[in-house]
Amino acid sequence: MNVKTISAKVFSHAAPDKAKRAGVFERLPAVAAYVGKKTLVFLFMMFVLSVIVFYVSRLTPGDPLEAFYGGATQSMTVEELDAARARLGLDGPVTRQYLKWAGNVLQGDFGMSLRHKRPVLSVVRPLIGNTLILGGAAYVLVFLLAVILALFCARFEDSLADRLICKIGAAAYYIPAFWLGVVLVLLFSVNLKWLPSSGAYDIGKAKDIANRARHMVLPLVVMVASHLWYYAYMIRNKLLDEVRRDYVLLARSKGLGKTRILLAHCLRNVLPTIVNIMAISIPHVLSGTYIAESVFNYPGIGSLAVSSAKYHDYNLLMLMVLLTGVLVIVSSLLAQAINEAIDPRMKTRMELD
Amino acid sequence: MSTGVSGGPEISREPTRSESSESLNEPCPPELSMVKKEQVDAFTVVGAGYKSHEIRVKRPGLLRSLYGKPVFSIMILSVIVLGCLFSESFINHDPTQFYLAHLSEPPNGEFFFGTDSLGRDIYSIIWRGGRISIFVGLFSACVATLVGVTYGCVAGMASKVVDDGMMRAVEMMQSIPFLLTVLLIVSITGKQNIASISLVIGGASWFGLARIVRGEVRQIRGSEYVLAARCMGANFPHIMRKHLIPNFVSAIMFVVISSVSLSMSMESTLSFLGFGLPPDVLSWGGMLALADRALLLNTWWVIVVPGLFLVVTLLCVTGVGNHFRRETNKRPSNL
Repeated sequence: MNVKTISAKVFSHAAPDKAKRAGVFERLPAVAAYVGKKTLVFLFMMFVLSVIVFYVSRLTPGDPLEAFYGGATQSMTVEELDAARARLGLDGPVTRQYLKWAGNVLQGDFGMSLRHKRPVLSVVRPLIGNTLILGGAAYVLVFLLAVILALFCARFEDSLADRLICKIGAAAYYIPAFWLGVVLVLLFSVNLKWLPSSGAYDIGKAKDIANRARHMVLPLVVMVASHLWYYAYMIRNKLLDEVRRDYVLLARSKGLGKTRILLAHCLRNVLPTIVNIMAISIPHVLSGTYIAESVFNYPGIGSLAVSSAKYHDYNLLMLMVLLTGVLVIVSSLLAQAINEAIDPRMKTRMELD
Repeated sequence: MSTGVSGGPEISREPTRSESSESLNEPCPPELSMVKKEQVDAFTVVGAGYKSHEIRVKRPGLLRSLYGKPVFSIMILSVIVLGCLFSESFINHDPTQFYLAHLSEPPNGEFFFGTDSLGRDIYSIIWRGGRISIFVGLFSACVATLVGVTYGCVAGMASKVVDDGMMRAVEMMQSIPFLLTVLLIVSITGKQNIASISLVIGGASWFGLARIVRGEVRQIRGSEYVLAARCMGANFPHIMRKHLIPNFVSAIMFVVISSVSLSMSMESTLSFLGFGLPPDVLSWGGMLALADRALLLNTWWVIVVPGLFLVVTLLCVTGVGNHFRRETNKRPSNL
């Protein structure tokens, strides 16, 4: 057998044998059971999370009524205070409070925000879009750049450029994100006056895409800088492991170019890992909005979470935690599902369990 | 003359008939009978002058032995740490004093790094506040290491069910964003002091370490020496101290050291967001908490100087940590 036939065998991505695979309909019960099991796990985890956060948040020092009424609590009578507590669901033992809260949540009522004096959902709803735009853009940029950087570093391993990128990337990763943001504002907004320093858009220009984009540049830079190298380095190391496989040697001896091997074969083999990392890291990247939004006063979920923690706004904080929890659990389930769809080995492993 | 492989003298046996029986009869210490030729003539030391021969090892020069070590990082780091420790001898203002006649002054001959919007001397605060920042970093790294190593060892040595449960819990905690965990704990515990903020940061950052330790312990736990120690009745702390930790200490060194810098970074972030140490406790993060006001006043030195100190320290710590990073792949590339 000459090299050509071997390589033909190794490199042909032959279509999988259709006959051996069970049809979609035959697998439906298994899929349904799988989804059902995951949903149960999801509900249970949400329950545990909400109980923990609810109880713990009620242990905090500081009267939430003060967050609601400010200094006015001092001049209120005991009856008035009790009535206010009852109205806000702050009376009785914690267990009853929780049951009442959980009952309301199941009906879609997350309670009043103590600080904004409005239903929590109406506080959060207008801000979700802003955060999703910022977080989504950062997410796409981070992984796009991470893959490109990783490919470049793996292609020119141990060259000067690779070592330089490694050093700079690690440095950027360890610089505190908020400081980077403040310095950028100092440089580009305060002194050079190129970019706006705060907000998501200028007043009355919510629909103006160019205006929004200008406001997003600096927060994006901060978020990308603080996350990029973490993922780029991970992918780079995966690629370097892959480059040491035997099939690369074979492809080289066959005469394929380095870049071609890297893009067509190594990247393809690493792709499941990258997709897995991408799915798991959704909450991680979105949590970068906490700092970026706080520094740039960007109206979004992240800065809202920080301020609600600062003012003991329980109901709002609970919603934040639950949202994050949903995100975390959904993304990890997503990662599993994607893994099983891409990599048949994972599926057989699952069926064996 | 032949020399043994081990470098020791070669002993050849030359028994003489009359003395061989004697040497058998009267027992004498083996080392005496071997070496002292006068007393017992049974053995002859062949390579007699072996002790006078010294192998000359060329000691590597100073430069050579420092090659590849993070000299630069260590030097800067030690300057900063020593400066913070012995700051009393060279700061020229009282760091706690408000110089109301000198609000927001740019760097000049009297105030080397300028003054902030409260009229405090930045040069003095940096050296005094560095103590707190570095201490918080070290202390929370200690907390994280202690908890993470113990948890990882217990999970690694435990039965499969317990191990699964413990690791699931860690994975769940780890998937919640670090900042959210810390924000929750901080908003619950209320006012912070140095010890409590270190505990909070350390307590929220040990998950990754625990997973690494558990993975290492899983590999070691089946080995013979652990089995032998358990057969001899060694308890868990003993096995952990004598057998487990020495084996994985090199694997976690990088994580431990970089957790120092991550903790310092987290402390300053918390201070900036308003959850950190109270304003009267001087730290780098506390100085950066004034950054918002400094932006309005456009006083760059309030933002840049403490931030540079913080960033340089973080990078140096990381540089030292990188030295301990285990190279996973030493094989040549096929590409």
